[in-house]
Amino acid sequence: MEFEAVIGLEIHIELNCPTKMFCDCPNDPAAEPNANTCPICLWFPGAIPRFSQAALEKAALLCLALGAELQPRSAFDQKVYYYPDLPKGYQLSQAHLPLSRGGGIDITDEDGTQKRLRIHHIHMEEDVAKLVHEMEGRTPISLVDFNRAGAPLVEIVTEPDFRTPHHAMEFLKALRTQVRYAGASECSMENGTMRVDANISVRPRGTEQMNTKVEVKNMNSVRHVGDAIAYEIGRQSASVQAGEEVVLHTRLWDPDKKATFPMRAKFEGPCIPDPAVPVIELSPAWIETMRSRLPEMPTVRAERFMARYGLTGEEATYLSADPELASYFEALIEAGIAPRTAMHWLTTQLAPAVKDRGRELGNSPVSPARLAALLHMLSRDEINAHAAREVLTALFESDAAPEEIVRSRGFRQVSDRDALGELIDQVLAANQAAVEDFRGGQGKAMGFLIGRVMQASEGKANPKIIRELLNDKFAAGSP
Amino acid sequence: METIFAYLPPRTDPPAGGTPPGLRAAIQPCLSVAEWPTDAGSPALADYTAWEDATAVNRLRQAGAALVGLTRTGEFGLGLNGSQAGMAVRSGAADLELVIDLTGESRLAAARAGICGFKTSWGIVSRYGLIGLIPSMECCGVLAGGVPPIREFLRAAAGPDERDFSLPDEETLDFSGGRIDAGETTVGVVTEALDSLTPEARGAFADSLSALTAAGFTLREVSIPDFPLFSLVHQIVGAVEASSSAGRYDSVRYGRRAAGAKNWNEMYLLSRGAAFGTLLKSYLFQGAFFQFQAYGAYDNACHLRARLLAAMATATAQADFLVLPGENPSAPATAVTPEDIYAQFSFTAFANVTGQPALYLPPPTGEARPGWQLTGPRRSDARLLAVGESLQGIRQGGK
Repeated sequence: MEFEAVIGLEIHIELNCPTKMFCDCPNDPAAEPNANTCPICLWFPGAIPRFSQAALEKAALLCLALGAELQPRSAFDQKVYYYPDLPKGYQLSQAHLPLSRGGGIDITDEDGTQKRLRIHHIHMEEDVAKLVHEMEGRTPISLVDFNRAGAPLVEIVTEPDFRTPHHAMEFLKALRTQVRYAGASECSMENGTMRVDANISVRPRGTEQMNTKVEVKNMNSVRHVGDAIAYEIGRQSASVQAGEEVVLHTRLWDPDKKATFPMRAKFEGPCIPDPAVPVIELSPAWIETMRSRLPEMPTVRAERFMARYGLTGEEATYLSADPELASYFEALIEAGIAPRTAMHWLTTQLAPAVKDRGRELGNSPVSPARLAALLHMLSRDEINAHAAREVLTALFESDAAPEEIVRSRGFRQVSDRDALGELIDQVLAANQAAVEDFRGGQGKAMGFLIGRVMQASEGKANPKIIRELLNDKFAAGSP
Repeated sequence: METIFAYLPPRTDPPAGGTPPGLRAAIQPCLSVAEWPTDAGSPALADYTAWEDATAVNRLRQAGAALVGLTRTGEFGLGLNGSQAGMAVRSGAADLELVIDLTGESRLAAARAGICGFKTSWGIVSRYGLIGLIPSMECCGVLAGGVPPIREFLRAAAGPDERDFSLPDEETLDFSGGRIDAGETTVGVVTEALDSLTPEARGAFADSLSALTAAGFTLREVSIPDFPLFSLVHQIVGAVEASSSAGRYDSVRYGRRAAGAKNWNEMYLLSRGAAFGTLLKSYLFQGAFFQFQAYGAYDNACHLRARLLAAMATATAQADFLVLPGENPSAPATAVTPEDIYAQFSFTAFANVTGQPALYLPPPTGEARPGWQLTGPRRSDARLLAVGESLQGIRQGGK
């Protein structure tokens, strides 16, 4: 029997607000343990949560970026569960009236067709504290770090529209891009700002039944999500084929063993409305204000890049996937750089150089204006490509203008035909064997000779002019 | 004093030649008092010291009141078992007491002590720093020998508080007092509230109302057919909220951790089990039952609550204020089960369900006549106090 999987995702995303969701503590879980705490997020008796407007705005932007419909009324509930990471015994979460409903993401399926993967709803909730297990001598101790307690989260719950690991991975990549565009979160699975649980069931292909699902957690990258889903489909298919019943439970993905293992279930029950946090009412005007704050989304931007700048679909998608990269590209265009040159230098030179230095494009010392000045010199033949790469390296180490670096380090290209003619004569005299090879029809000897002239000029010669002069000399029969 | 107070601060002499002392206030430890052992009467908070004042306490302090100590209370102020509320005023140790009112505790404690007890409207006094179990129903309650200290407290405490965002965005009430003209005032008597009384008790209550007609008030019967449902709705919604809220008081952080657990999950369970008393546990079990096993019933109770609010609004619109008994004479004196609590509070729970104010006025000193519970729409607190003051004058034989 052939099986197909029915998969839905539950995705937690940590919003990048300056403060926590219900108090003014900094939203910085990485700080010194328990540094960012107050009576509210420590859940002291008598404290009352105070809902943050910034969290609402970020969450709303995220919903709109995913095409979801913000609800005029939403509210927080108490999600009761008992675990030491939640000493108040309930988590504030929107169980009954979520912030938004609907929305979705279009992905390209493995056969090249477009597929819509729908979102059921998006709700807000607070994060819980972090548990740290250590040894004090021989005694195991468990510590609670409340820095993360009350950090603002949204949970995106999808429809069970996914059938393959590919669907899940493409959805997550596109989701990450859109949320980053909205400026709502870094969305990094590696850093834990995006956490994905997958609900997976299998059924005979061609049927419409919904079978018992298994929840899989603990995937730390998009790749792991794909691997875990693939493993779980195989495991469930095999057990159904063997006549075993699938039971509702939760499993953990073990990336080393590349397998899922059952975990103990957390006690969870129905939620009740929280009387302390007021109901959130959104007016149509407020929703429109939020919509106007949303930047151009990546698919729209990619299409514009193709139409306006003649980029290929692949190039446009690559650039627009990263809002910083796309903005940088447009800044270069605005500074008068040709789109292809901008695309080439940005993706093959600058982006790898920034990454090598462990920096982000946004905080790199090579601003679009500086790179544009450099590329202008290149297009005017004032420097050659080799020198341009050297200057780019220098731009990371110095605040000087590219023109200044070119001048002070003598990178200016030599295009003087007389001076180059002399150099060429010297190189030809010293490399007679190569000259004979070229005459004998070995075209690559030309490249060797150009290289030798470049070397003799200490990299400053204009390679176009060297080639012209060499061709002239061979055509004239000398040497 | 030790029978009344759970905590008395070290004595400090009043500054010589300072301003004349203000009200002396005793606080139930369900309201936070900075640096005092605010344990809400529960072993789960045995080692908890409040980090700051509840807003109500702080504003009272700012208005010049002196805090005399923390009164004894039952667990989280629910019910009157173990409570000494009212006794500090009755014994003369305080002019005023602040308590948490979850089911009617301020009014019933006042009835037992023979003093006045007032439950504020939901949303006019900040709940910041209140340690309770039923957030949608609990309010600050005030006990005093007469109405003036209650009014003085509200003048100081009512109004917006940036630390309590659950307060509706409304104007602060004016508590400057006001005169009541009996000839222009209609008093509604809630018919169904009297149905559960024995014929003798009903007769005694009806007799007591003759003082109102004698003073010139117009009496009129007002019907709330669903009146018995207030207690039922309170019990279901209250128990569910308590079951959820009680998670905050796990006994691990501030109470006593149970020994002998194999792992920390077990330690949490054992500590919670050891911290709560039998009566509270029964109540929490009821709440857990409705939340996890009969959610539909809880949902129905929430809908019913909205219907009861509408019914009460209709009733309060038919008179200037309503009068009904405060105590249920047939209820057991000590509660053993949650049902006992609801029997005791069968005349008071309505105001916690709807969020309206209610004032208990004791019978004239030395008389065995029943006390009165006055109520009006939410935010009618100032008028209700004015009425109460006027009626207390009448009942005490004054004018």
